[in-house]
Amino acid sequence: MDERILEFIGDLRRAEVRISPSEALDALGATAEIGLEDRETFKAALASTLVKEARDQATFDRIFNLYFLDLEALGEGLKKALGPEDPKMQELLDQLANEQDLDLDEMTELLMRGQGSEMEMAIRSGSQNAGLERLMYFLQVGYFSRRIQDQFDWAAMERDLEKILQMLEAKGLDPGQLARIRNYLELRLEAFRRMIRQHVERELERRAWRQGEKLTREVLADKPLFALSPDEVAQMKTVVARLARKIKDALALRQRQEEKGRIDARRTIRKSLQYGGIPMEVMLRRRHREKPRLITICDVSDSVRNASRFMLQLVWSLQECFSRVQSYVFVSEIAEVTQAFSSLPVERAIEWALKGAPVDFHCRSDFGYAFNRFVRTELERLDRRTTVMILGDARNNYNDPQAWALRMIRERVKGIIWLNPEGQWGWGIGDSVMPLYSPHCNFVRECRTIAQLGEAVDSLVHQWWRRGR
Amino acid sequence: MFQTVEEVQQRFRDAKYIATRRISTVVYLASRMGRPVLIEGPAGVGKTELAKTLSEISSRPLIRMQCYEGLDEAKALYEWKYAKQLLYTQLLRDRIGELVANAPSLPDAVDKIAGQDDAFFSFRFLAPRPLLSAILAEDPTVLLVDEIDKAEPEFEAFLLEVLSDFQVSVPELGTIRARHIPWVVLTSNNARELSDGLKRRCLHLFIDFPAPAEELAIIRLKVPEIPDKLAEAVVAAVGKIRSLDLRKPPSVSESLDWARSLVILNAKQLDAALVESTLTMLVKYEKDLERVKGALDKVLADLPQA
Repeated sequence: MDERILEFIGDLRRAEVRISPSEALDALGATAEIGLEDRETFKAALASTLVKEARDQATFDRIFNLYFLDLEALGEGLKKALGPEDPKMQELLDQLANEQDLDLDEMTELLMRGQGSEMEMAIRSGSQNAGLERLMYFLQVGYFSRRIQDQFDWAAMERDLEKILQMLEAKGLDPGQLARIRNYLELRLEAFRRMIRQHVERELERRAWRQGEKLTREVLADKPLFALSPDEVAQMKTVVARLARKIKDALALRQRQEEKGRIDARRTIRKSLQYGGIPMEVMLRRRHREKPRLITICDVSDSVRNASRFMLQLVWSLQECFSRVQSYVFVSEIAEVTQAFSSLPVERAIEWALKGAPVDFHCRSDFGYAFNRFVRTELERLDRRTTVMILGDARNNYNDPQAWALRMIRERVKGIIWLNPEGQWGWGIGDSVMPLYSPHCNFVRECRTIAQLGEAVDSLVHQWWRRGR
Repeated sequence: MFQTVEEVQQRFRDAKYIATRRISTVVYLASRMGRPVLIEGPAGVGKTELAKTLSEISSRPLIRMQCYEGLDEAKALYEWKYAKQLLYTQLLRDRIGELVANAPSLPDAVDKIAGQDDAFFSFRFLAPRPLLSAILAEDPTVLLVDEIDKAEPEFEAFLLEVLSDFQVSVPELGTIRARHIPWVVLTSNNARELSDGLKRRCLHLFIDFPAPAEELAIIRLKVPEIPDKLAEAVVAAVGKIRSLDLRKPPSVSESLDWARSLVILNAKQLDAALVESTLTMLVKYEKDLERVKGALDKVLADLPQA
């Protein structure tokens, strides 16, 4: 069983549930304490040792169901087929199974006792011998089910059943009872076959899921943002949310207090009262760390809309890392959309900013004009604590780039960061005016994919703002 | 010590706490494996209550440590009673004077006083805080670390250290090792992300709002005077109110309060006027209140009637 659990943990890890070796050990220890009798308890034991984030619960449930057969549901079906259960019958069978001289095949005993978990174990070891790991296509399900079935000695089991019935007959059971017992045992046999098939089907499903999951993850993270389909955009939202959380988690661990700094006279004197007025413990003034103000300016023309979407989502999910976030969007006219973010949930606000924002996005991008307008109206609001983050491909449609506007912004703020969703090879070619803008930026990054976007924001949160302190 | 999961479940039930299979499994595992339990979930679903009940059924005393911002080691572990030490030295000034009276030189006098160190740095002058009391306790205890998410990350790291080996060192007294490993229950409302280390160390239990059947059982257990039909109506109505996308959806403790107040008002069934007048038991924000009032028809539609 341990192997199965370890394999299960492997798949959880592949689904980005973080599980450390010590947690895996805990899971094994816990299941050893609990045993396999009750599926719910077993599941609870695994969940409590492996799932430490509420958001991973759904993943856990899904994979758990792929891994561990729902024996109870299977048993329920069986019971229904049997009609009202006769405890006497089971008792009788148990008695028989315990008799010494009755030389039964192992499997027959299992069948008679009806221990679901042991039956599952038997199937599992059978499937190992049958080479189930080679299973790849749906068409192979029948083949592998048969191969696993062949691992068991069905002839011996049938023989055993005959023997049991004969013995019962000898004990003087009436034909009606006998027929019901025969029926019961045959149903059990049938259920066992069904379990095998179900096991194989689950295995296939699990594999397919594993492949699919891997594909989406790998492909999505490295796919150019402009090429995403609407479906992929929806999936990407969860990827971005996870990214934001990761950055935040790392930040939360940062040490807050420091050992050096200026003396805090008030607290030192207060503390000295304990020692009769002698300042035994020197209290230091807590260094106040300024959170940066962030202004994002996003190009929302068609070509870079996806990149803007994710950048906005990322930045707004990291709100608590900043003292204030303001967002502007432009195509050629520029408009502030901060209001939407404070009144709507992030998701909806982004949609609003991208679709219903007060900018006409049918015209052609004009970075120069947008920067010019920004400087005219917002320059007063900029200060040394502000970082400006611009997202755009700097494809200016041969308009006047007005790089001076960017320089004026630069003089006012702490820094300008430019994220360009276009590959670096394209900068400066055709109508791209990136080379004119980049000298005024402190930090220019290509971010064609979500992975790159994540790296850029991460290094921002961790290094860029750290430097200035 | 519990023998089976079922036993845990039954004993919690006897103590008037409805523990789901999941909860009882985790408690059982924690008692078996000696691991802390970290409970997360919305406010008012019985996280703290679980620890209290656990202490009750295991008849282990409960030591509670409420976390808050600014909680530090000194407040959690131990403090020297400086004032008392000071007072004692003042009172004993004569004795100290005698002690050093015939010391030939200053270093000798210092040596003599140093020889008496133990008198002033002993358990007599040590004020144990919750963590140290749990470690010093003669009998096994249940240690409840409430709302760990309110404390700072540094404190969390410190706590992790204590929880992993259950020993602390007091420089003046040496290392103190726990006589019994306490059962530790930590609760969190998810005000911030807890560190991975702590989560890794603990068994994790997420308690959500209970399923209707469970909530019904809880209400019947805690408010036995309530008529059956009314209890069902309360559960159904609370379920609907929870689905309304409120700032703070009512949790179990609120539905219990509501059920109690309905019993006091001698209500037989729910009607609009009654619900409206008692709604403040359930919903605590003005905006939420308005929203629920707006949707009152929907909430009261097809409830079980008496």
